[in-house]
Amino acid sequence: MKSRQIVFSLLLVAVLVAIAGCMLVIGRGHTVYFDNKTLEGYQGQDYKAFERVVVKVKGEEVAKLGKRERGMSIWIGQNFQMTLEITENKGDEPVVKEVSIKLPYSVDGIVVNLPAYLAGLPEEAWYTEFVPAVTKEPVEEDPTIGDDFGLGDELGLEGDGL
Amino acid sequence: MSKNNNASAGKQLLGFVRNNTVPIMFIIICAVFIPMSGRSPSYLLNEIITRMGRNLFLVLCLLFPIMAGMGLNFAMTLGAMGAEIAVILVADWQIWGIPGVVLAMILSIPFSMLLGLLCGAILNMAKGREMITSYIMNYFINGWYQLIVLYVMGSIIPIVHASIMLPRGYGIRNTVSLLNMRQCLDDLLAVRVGGVKIPVLTFLLVGLLCLFIVWFRRTKLGQDMRAVGQDMEVARAAGIKVERTRIISIVMSTVFAGFGMVIYLQNMGNLPTYTGHAQIGMFCIAALLVGGASVERASIGNAFLGVILFHLMFIVAPGAGAFITGDSMVGEYFRVFLSYGVITLALIMYEAKKRMVKSKAGQELAQAQKEEAE
Repeated sequence: MKSRQIVFSLLLVAVLVAIAGCMLVIGRGHTVYFDNKTLEGYQGQDYKAFERVVVKVKGEEVAKLGKRERGMSIWIGQNFQMTLEITENKGDEPVVKEVSIKLPYSVDGIVVNLPAYLAGLPEEAWYTEFVPAVTKEPVEEDPTIGDDFGLGDELGLEGDGL
Repeated sequence: MSKNNNASAGKQLLGFVRNNTVPIMFIIICAVFIPMSGRSPSYLLNEIITRMGRNLFLVLCLLFPIMAGMGLNFAMTLGAMGAEIAVILVADWQIWGIPGVVLAMILSIPFSMLLGLLCGAILNMAKGREMITSYIMNYFINGWYQLIVLYVMGSIIPIVHASIMLPRGYGIRNTVSLLNMRQCLDDLLAVRVGGVKIPVLTFLLVGLLCLFIVWFRRTKLGQDMRAVGQDMEVARAAGIKVERTRIISIVMSTVFAGFGMVIYLQNMGNLPTYTGHAQIGMFCIAALLVGGASVERASIGNAFLGVILFHLMFIVAPGAGAFITGDSMVGEYFRVFLSYGVITLALIMYEAKKRMVKSKAGQELAQAQKEEAE
């Protein structure tokens, strides 16, 4: 192989690896859950849930949360952005806030407590990792693999020990 | 004079019909089935465009081995298996949307190349019997694929998400959801014309592959491939590395098949782990043959016409079956029977043509010898 060809091949591999690396970073998907729940007793103080919060992601309304409600949205990448329309108390005018949250790469599901986040509390107060409830699966899945010829029982091969 | 003209026109028509038996047959079948199926033209158009976006890339990748005289590459399934492994990994790493598709395509390259190299080397040992060898290679590699996804993934290759893994703790589930990747390519630049969704980006990718094929045919390697396809010995005498060229054609086919499979899977939105690749080769080959291609000659036009006709038949057959017999399953059987039937027909026609040419050459030689003796 000519040296020019080797250099070209190595360059191509390097470009592909670089693109793959970029895709790994920018394409990481997360599920973000938003809780409109009162945070009780954080450093001796309660942070009350809002009357109503409308969550918009990329201009699309993804959740309309009352007190003690949870909404969710999917997001690709680590810089999560949403627009919140917050009605703090009944009868109040809604206040619009642009929110940007840095999502950790390794976490699939993130729960954000909105009252705590909007009160400017540290991450430990508003952030929890979403852990799906483990449900016992009673039936073992049987992967559908066979001999592709559809033989077996029909020819009595198994019975004959062949 | 006019009698002569009529006779030559008749001969031309006969020649045209003889050379395009399969597409003409399918056009007739579709023309009969469409009114029976009761489907509206907009529905049919929508379905055909969706299926063109889904399948064209896969069908086009069959052109490279045909160019190199290796016939219909049943081993394109190998590329599909490589793509499936890549898609499983990407799904587990939670890379979604277009980045997921791009990453799956890049990841599939080493798998497809490796399998293509192996397949090409084996096919070089079985010259003249490439099709049956590549067909059996499918089963051989399928066994390895099953071993990897059923036992190695989860136990040796780390798989994190329980939604992908079998409950026993290793192996991949029957179906992997690609919901977060579903139709991301098709939807990105999609245009709606009269209720028909046109996946512009997918067609752009298909167009790029078509341009690549047209350009590739004019390159030195493309010319070499065609020379090898016409006569291996003459090509070898001309200094072309025949074996290397044949391997490259198979590798290109499997790599593009891998890309095609990723496009196919993003359109479907789920991956049937153990069966997804099984029928791909057969259906793509059938579609190409329906478009008028043969074992030794195929063009981009054949791929387009084939996908349209074959899938049109696929769409209308159940409805037509239900109309004729009252049972849509008859239509299902009919379309499967037709896809296998068309491959059989093409192989018979190829063999018959080859024998006819051989016997004609023999007759000419005998005639020449006879004349010489006189």
